[in-house]
Amino acid sequence: MSKQAMKLINLKKTIGKKQIIKGLDFEINSGEVFGFLGPNGAGKTTTIRMMVGLMKITEGDVQILGKSIRSNYKEAVREVGAIVENPEMYPFMTGLQNLNHFARMIPGISKERIQEVIALVGLENAIRQKVGKYSLGMRQRLGIAQALLHKPSVLILDEPTNGLDPAGIREIRQYIRKLATEQNVAVIISSHLLSEIELMCDRIGIIKDGELVAIQSVNEISDTEVEKELLIHVQMEVKPPKSAIELLKSEFELDAEFESGLVRFQCPKERIPSIIQTFVQNGISVYQVEVSKARLEDKFFDLIGENSIG
Amino acid sequence: MVNFLKLTQNEIKKVYIQKSTWVLYMLLALIIIGGGILTVTTDVITKEYGEDTWKEELQEENQKLTKEMEEEGLFADYNTSLIEINNYYIENDIRPLGYNAWQYVQENAMLVSLVSLFTIIIAAGIVANEFRWGTIKLLLIRPISRFKILLSKFVAVLLFAFYTLLFLIILSWIVGAIFFGIDSFNPHMVMDKHGGLEYVSVIKEIIFDYGFKLVNLFMMATFAFMISSIFRSSPIAIGTAVFLMLAGNSIVMFFAEHSWSKYILFANTDLTQYVGGNEPLIEGMTLSFSITVLVVYFVVFVCASWGVFMKRDVAGN
Ligand SMILES: Nc1ncnc2c1ncn2[C@@H]1O[C@H](COP(=O)(O)OP(=O)(O)OP(=O)(O)O)[C@@H](O)[C@H]1O
Ligand SMILES: [Mg+2]
Repeated sequence: MSKQAMKLINLKKTIGKKQIIKGLDFEINSGEVFGFLGPNGAGKTTTIRMMVGLMKITEGDVQILGKSIRSNYKEAVREVGAIVENPEMYPFMTGLQNLNHFARMIPGISKERIQEVIALVGLENAIRQKVGKYSLGMRQRLGIAQALLHKPSVLILDEPTNGLDPAGIREIRQYIRKLATEQNVAVIISSHLLSEIELMCDRIGIIKDGELVAIQSVNEISDTEVEKELLIHVQMEVKPPKSAIELLKSEFELDAEFESGLVRFQCPKERIPSIIQTFVQNGISVYQVEVSKARLEDKFFDLIGENSIG
Repeated sequence: MVNFLKLTQNEIKKVYIQKSTWVLYMLLALIIIGGGILTVTTDVITKEYGEDTWKEELQEENQKLTKEMEEEGLFADYNTSLIEINNYYIENDIRPLGYNAWQYVQENAMLVSLVSLFTIIIAAGIVANEFRWGTIKLLLIRPISRFKILLSKFVAVLLFAFYTLLFLIILSWIVGAIFFGIDSFNPHMVMDKHGGLEYVSVIKEIIFDYGFKLVNLFMMATFAFMISSIFRSSPIAIGTAVFLMLAGNSIVMFFAEHSWSKYILFANTDLTQYVGGNEPLIEGMTLSFSITVLVVYFVVFVCASWGVFMKRDVAGN
């Protein structure tokens, strides 16, 4: 079922003497939402530019449904819809005029199809306004509409959550998931904020300094690894905290710290019941236990270093 | 394959949807209408010569012109040539047409330089603006070669020039018809054709006058298009193209002693130097020489535009 939609083969880019992309190798399957994560300047946009043929590939190749963007550009790019960097449109034309403009560049896009994508991104009311008057969120939506016009097999969105409010992000999340599951589109979403794309991605590839440092399935983490050994963050509100910290050290060999009214430490999930039991037995009142879910975030931080995140 | 016409249609639409384009047209219209009003109110033009009295009218005119020359010492050359033309009519027994729409159209041939300027402005922006707006990225990620995209833009520039020229001619004729009348649909008049006075078709003269000026328009538009494509900046393209258009003749004059000056573009854009007994700008130049030089320049401009545009990495601004 999961057909390969896009494949990067040892993709490299050198500008001047500087190697910006140092050999990327991964594939994205149909129906999958792939998060392309990395700090500012990691090379996400550069990679995307090569994927769509805006930049020459120095070495390696990008294949879309098996067609090379280098040697078979027209056939390959026909399968791609994209927003690269900002969703820029002609400001002096209305949303509809913009869509008509791009529809004329690809054969076989009907008037109905144009209306369909407008409805999909929820721009019906603003479509006859000049794009110059659009908010960033509206331009983002129009950008996505433009990318979907020709029913691409691969949808590439460079930081689509940029400038969107939480409601806008959630909406985009919903129809990106819908596109992937219902229309079997492979979606590539770049971001430098894990929290914004974590919830909509099936897999996340982390890029740093032009190299892929990790590729991780989102579900995998929560189901298997964590259940067993992976350390998770625990925060407890207990009284008195001081004896709780001492107890954690003596009984469980855990280093805990006290921060903004909470005792924090890391341990495998399995040990939490026995910790609580011990606390209760020793006369420590437990008011609240919270287990942090941002496990991927930690992994992300570990991989690229906290300070480098923009 | 995407219809090339649709691409060109896109480009033309983008040109005419912008208000700044309409400002240019309004300016042109203002000058044409204003010129008509000025001519009808201040110039001494004769609207019509009487069927029986035209010879006397012409002689009266001649006397006035002579008096003007002798008493005020003004316009000697110009008045002399007018008197000669009037005499030609009398001697050959041809009743001259009054000043009419056709003549107004012919006189407005000088406004082709304004059309050139407008075309330069459009050519300068048509590639550079896509980069400025950031829309170049969306334009290039389509199943269309960059070669074709750029060609559609070049064709759009030429179409703009054509439409604007048509606008100039038609509006001049309409304004002329309103102010001066039409008189005839195949007007003839006597003109100084360097080899001597001749009775010529005005429409033919119009075609020649406008046609020769198109050479310069075409070359400068292509030049601006090239700068726009290479430097992605419309101010640079407008600046260099307009500067060269204005300074072109001075540049040629400045280097006139050097034998290579005949290879300068502007030594060759005025092809009227080869017709009607005119002297070529620099000795030894011929029409075919100039055409060859023009073609070479054009090919260089085109190769530079397309070469850069097709190879370029499209990155941030
Ligand atoms: N045209 C260019 N010439 C030289 N270096 C460039 C060029 N374009 C990008 N770079 C460099 O390549 C690196 C990657 O840039 P890129 O825009 O791909 O990063 P990014 O991951 O998209 O970052 P962001 O999160 O800020 O969008 C940066 O270090 C940048 O300085
Ligand atoms: Mg980027």
